[in-house]
Amino acid sequence: MENSRELKFESPSFITRIKGMLGVDFYRLFHTPLFYIFLGIAAIIPAMLIAMTGMSGPNGEPSTPLFTNVWQAIAADTPIYGFEGIEKYANMNMVFIFGGIMVSIFIGHDYKSGYVKQLFTTHAKKEDYMISKSLTCAFAMACMCITYLFGAVVAGLLTKTSFSVNVGNLVCAILGKVVMSLGWASLYTFLNIIFRRYFGVSIASSFFFGTGVLVIGVGSIVGNTPLLNFFLYGSSVFACLTSTLLNVIVCLIVSVAWAGIYITVGSHILSKSDVY
Amino acid sequence: MNAIEIRNLSKSFRGLYAVDNLNMTVPVGAIYGFIGENGSGKSTTEKLVCGHLVPDGGEIKLFGRDYTDAGVRVRVGALIENAGCFPSSSVYQNLMMQAINLGIADREGEINRVLKIVRMEDSAHIKFKSCSLGMKQRIGIAMALLGSPALLILDEPINGLDTDGMRIMREILVDITKTYGCTVLISSHILGELEKIATHYGIIRQGKMIMELSAKEMESRARIFTSLKTENMRGAFTLLKEKFHSVREEEGYLRVYDIDDTETIVEYLYKKGYVVSEVKKNKIGLEEYYIEIMSGKGE
Repeated sequence: MENSRELKFESPSFITRIKGMLGVDFYRLFHTPLFYIFLGIAAIIPAMLIAMTGMSGPNGEPSTPLFTNVWQAIAADTPIYGFEGIEKYANMNMVFIFGGIMVSIFIGHDYKSGYVKQLFTTHAKKEDYMISKSLTCAFAMACMCITYLFGAVVAGLLTKTSFSVNVGNLVCAILGKVVMSLGWASLYTFLNIIFRRYFGVSIASSFFFGTGVLVIGVGSIVGNTPLLNFFLYGSSVFACLTSTLLNVIVCLIVSVAWAGIYITVGSHILSKSDVY
Repeated sequence: MNAIEIRNLSKSFRGLYAVDNLNMTVPVGAIYGFIGENGSGKSTTEKLVCGHLVPDGGEIKLFGRDYTDAGVRVRVGALIENAGCFPSSSVYQNLMMQAINLGIADREGEINRVLKIVRMEDSAHIKFKSCSLGMKQRIGIAMALLGSPALLILDEPINGLDTDGMRIMREILVDITKTYGCTVLISSHILGELEKIATHYGIIRQGKMIMELSAKEMESRARIFTSLKTENMRGAFTLLKEKFHSVREEEGYLRVYDIDDTETIVEYLYKKGYVVSEVKKNKIGLEEYYIEIMSGKGE
């Protein structure tokens, strides 16, 4: 038992705090079914899309294939920001939409269960929370990208769809999408902080921004301008099947920059407002 | 050094002040009973101390440091409203998460230690949502006890529990306060239970601290009284009122306050032709003292 003279208060360093917070988030991620369900969803989506390309019409006539190549389910051939048919959008970018829903549920449970009180009663700072949630959810989305890739490959093998591709471009496209996870995760964390009292609104807003409808709308008006790469959806589209290392670097810069903005603003809002 | 020192703390919700220029001092090692009616600002004060709410103004110091200091916050444990556990995770998993957050080295050992304190060693693998209300409150206390906090904040831990749950909770609270010696801030409506463990009291009304006193001070202020019954209560009441300073009729008894000598009262009534059928000497408890304060009858 400590007496008042013996009481010691050592301030934990940022590294210690973030390690603790990340430890909690990763423990929760791996010990609850949510993460595994979304990994499964990510694998099923490309499989369904690719399987549909080989299906026949109602009278047995061959349907117009959605993809002529398995990798088109991973990324579009070229970056197209405006609306140009569903096949240009039905790719790995969809992971970011479902990832948004996962982040909403993940953070929503923190508030719904009251666990967030436990975190903020102790040494956790608001910025630790934003950083940890963004990193954990970015990891989860990156994993979803990988299972999405597996789903596409398995479906491609089963439906005997073409696999021909420039491997270097494909790797750059996948890397570009994976690094975008951080930006998307921090956007969703930010949205869930803003709407933390309204779980339904959190999910709806995540879905809305995840579809990239704002960038698609602007792209449809102004055309394919590289300026749209400044936005998360723009850069996600920029990671296409003609990607080079430059595309990956652009994706990385945009993703990290937006993550920094969302984490900073989100931490500020959290520290100036009540937890619930 | 005080464990909690609050100066001019205010918090409003939509223009209504839940805590209004509150001052509060909780000495290190105290078991501070925080008393007040519903909506008086107890929970809001506790949430402010825990950092869940942002104050409009004022100062909160914990162990002489600003309450946001991570070094001091890591030594705070709290049970505010509910345990704050994930319902689909087991008791063990919930405790493990908090142990990881606190950076505890021997997590297994620490979890077993707190489960033992709250008498739940055998329930570690039950899902939180399957636990009874009493168990959930005990898990909440176990969560708060992880990492040996220097300050424990408990908001109505006894509320809603059945008799058995209350008994277990009281035993746990006594155990924590006597064995582990941390400073405890505890709010409760059940004043009889609080009286058994508290060393200090704070009475809050409409967001303002109206009185702070130690258990010893309360003991010295607590008035003694003699309760008695006679066949003619009305006549005896009038008679006693003539002779003694403070006489009341409460709960079917006549109460004569501040007179230590019971025999004098009985003899006086006997001489006037009143036979006392029942007599007992009492001291008012926390509950009655609190009621007196709130009704303005007290000092």
